[in-house]
Amino acid sequence: MRRGLCFRDAGAVDGTPPRGEFTGIVRANQALCREHYRLTLEVVGFPPSTPGQFIEILSLPGGGSTEKRRPTPASSAGPGDETARPREWQWTAAAPPRFTDPDLIAQRPYLRRPFSIAQRRDARGQQSDSAAVTQLDIMYRVVGKTTRVLEQLRPGAMVSLLGPLGRGFIIPPSLRLALLVGGGVGIPPMLYLAEQLALRGIPAVAFAGAQRADLFPLILPPGAPRPLDRPVASRSVLEFARHGISSIVATDDGSLGMHGFVTVALRAYLEREKEINGDSTTVFCCGPMPMMKATAAIAAMRKLPCQVSLEQPMACGMGTCQSCVIKYQPAGEPEWGYRLACADGPVFQAADIIWP
Amino acid sequence: MNNIAAPPPTGEPDLSVRLGNMLLANPVMTASGTCGYADEYADFTDLSQLGAFVTKAISKTPRKGNESYRVIETRAGLLNAIGLANIGLARFLKEKIPLLEKMGVPVIVNVPGWQIEDYADVAERLDHESPVVRGIELNVSCPNVKSGLSFGTDAVRLAQLVAAVRRRVSRCTLIVKLSPNVTDIAVTARAAVEAGADCLSLVNTFTAMVVDIEKGRPWLANGVGGLSGPAIKPIAVYMVHRVYSQVARKHQIPLIGMGGIQSWSDAVEFLLAGATAVAVGTALFIDPAIPLKICEGLREYLTRKEKKNVIEIIGALAMPEEGRAGGNS
Repeated sequence: MRRGLCFRDAGAVDGTPPRGEFTGIVRANQALCREHYRLTLEVVGFPPSTPGQFIEILSLPGGGSTEKRRPTPASSAGPGDETARPREWQWTAAAPPRFTDPDLIAQRPYLRRPFSIAQRRDARGQQSDSAAVTQLDIMYRVVGKTTRVLEQLRPGAMVSLLGPLGRGFIIPPSLRLALLVGGGVGIPPMLYLAEQLALRGIPAVAFAGAQRADLFPLILPPGAPRPLDRPVASRSVLEFARHGISSIVATDDGSLGMHGFVTVALRAYLEREKEINGDSTTVFCCGPMPMMKATAAIAAMRKLPCQVSLEQPMACGMGTCQSCVIKYQPAGEPEWGYRLACADGPVFQAADIIWP
Repeated sequence: MNNIAAPPPTGEPDLSVRLGNMLLANPVMTASGTCGYADEYADFTDLSQLGAFVTKAISKTPRKGNESYRVIETRAGLLNAIGLANIGLARFLKEKIPLLEKMGVPVIVNVPGWQIEDYADVAERLDHESPVVRGIELNVSCPNVKSGLSFGTDAVRLAQLVAAVRRRVSRCTLIVKLSPNVTDIAVTARAAVEAGADCLSLVNTFTAMVVDIEKGRPWLANGVGGLSGPAIKPIAVYMVHRVYSQVARKHQIPLIGMGGIQSWSDAVEFLLAGATAVAVGTALFIDPAIPLKICEGLREYLTRKEKKNVIEIIGALAMPEEGRAGGNS
């Protein structure tokens, strides 16, 4: 198909494939902790992306595709994917089998849903003329129709995805220290960012928060440095430690790491690190809205630049439906205006946002 | 730009249709508000393959639109209350028209308003200043702004509006987008046609509400919104047929049918019911390439049915005779 015939001439010049719709083949769908999974999708010819960018996913229950699916060897299922085998139902007269929900249409998503890219791995094709194969990881928590569908996907299933969408984090040339603040389902873009910072040799400290220990989606190896309940960064979280990045963990109920929101950890850390200043340090943040608002306030107090990745309910992800509005007013602008989380963001300078 | 449709390759059915003084290469258009100003979709689909492009609503002055939340998914549908957020006529003419000129398909601008002058002023400027704009679609039915609804649901006021705009628009095809939030859509359709509309588009969204049961208040910041998507399609098909059989056929007025179109077969339903063209809206949010897929499917359907021309199936619905269908009519 001829894409972007009318407006997009740049692609033809710089050779980058345009954003578009792609088919992702599920390679793994690994349970991380209670309600959280990491989905690995293999995509052919996916354009370059940056941390903070996202994809819009559409999937049928079972990852339905009209094309014939090759049987997938059991070994390709990700570790922890015990659901790769058909379930054997046990029933008794006292507990007969029950078809639980006859409201089938309620289980079907209609629109796509946005997911931040958590990791990206590129492999060159075998032959020089073959398209590059990219593995994209997303992390999701099962909260609604689409994520319940995703939870059921097996290796070999297909999903449709649009992307890469939005504008990601900007790594300033002067950056000497990055503070990565991720809360709950806001953690995934921080993993992608951590990797990109490591590639550039920029040191970082990660702050990862969750509601409870059993909802913490990252790996804390048994031998990881402890204790975790002080604002001291250590190589405790595997996903950050593999990039040489230390981290501080917090949970709302104190069941893992520091007690309180991840912003408590950030505040305590900054109180100890007096020499950190805005000339060389930037805060990068993604998480629930109140958490990002609090992070922005902490960063502002220490005069640290802060980039936040915002989310609002969106229908399209491409900038047309005008749903995901953010109140925006950079310094010097006489009046506030709306910006779109999907197309103008999701990443904004925290100082430009009028927080709800 | 003359927008003369190229003849189809030999043997392929001819998809071209005429709407007022616009000749469309195929009957598949975009629906206002679901395709922005066109540049947003440039990476995702080839817009030059559209029959026509309909912009989002352009008002005289810029509008911020409603507070968030502006959308909520429903079963097989989408409820929205965007509030006609747009950059306003001046910026539209300056920034967006040059892009639309490159697209090479007829452009229709959706025009909202609160008073007759709002509509007439914008329509007149577009008619005079922008040759690429070939059609003006009067948005008399956007249910998301409190004062805009009365034109679309009041046949007398609608006729006054259409007549006033008609006097100020000479070059462009004048389209009136009808609201489905009426007792009998044929009444407003007739009023629009008798006041001088060249073409009708239907239906806009249905006024609807989703309740957040935990907070005990409507989900949308605006309280109510407009429902679109497959959930409304059967009602939209009925309304197109109602307007076609009661008004449009007699007056030789073409209809643009829309409401939940997701596939080529949905589009064929609307064409058979009496629409000359169809518009794809909410489905574009899922797949911006759906209009192209509809054209392919339509071509195959016409070939299978041995039709040389899409016009052969417009309004070709075989209705059961009065009284024979039974049921609850």
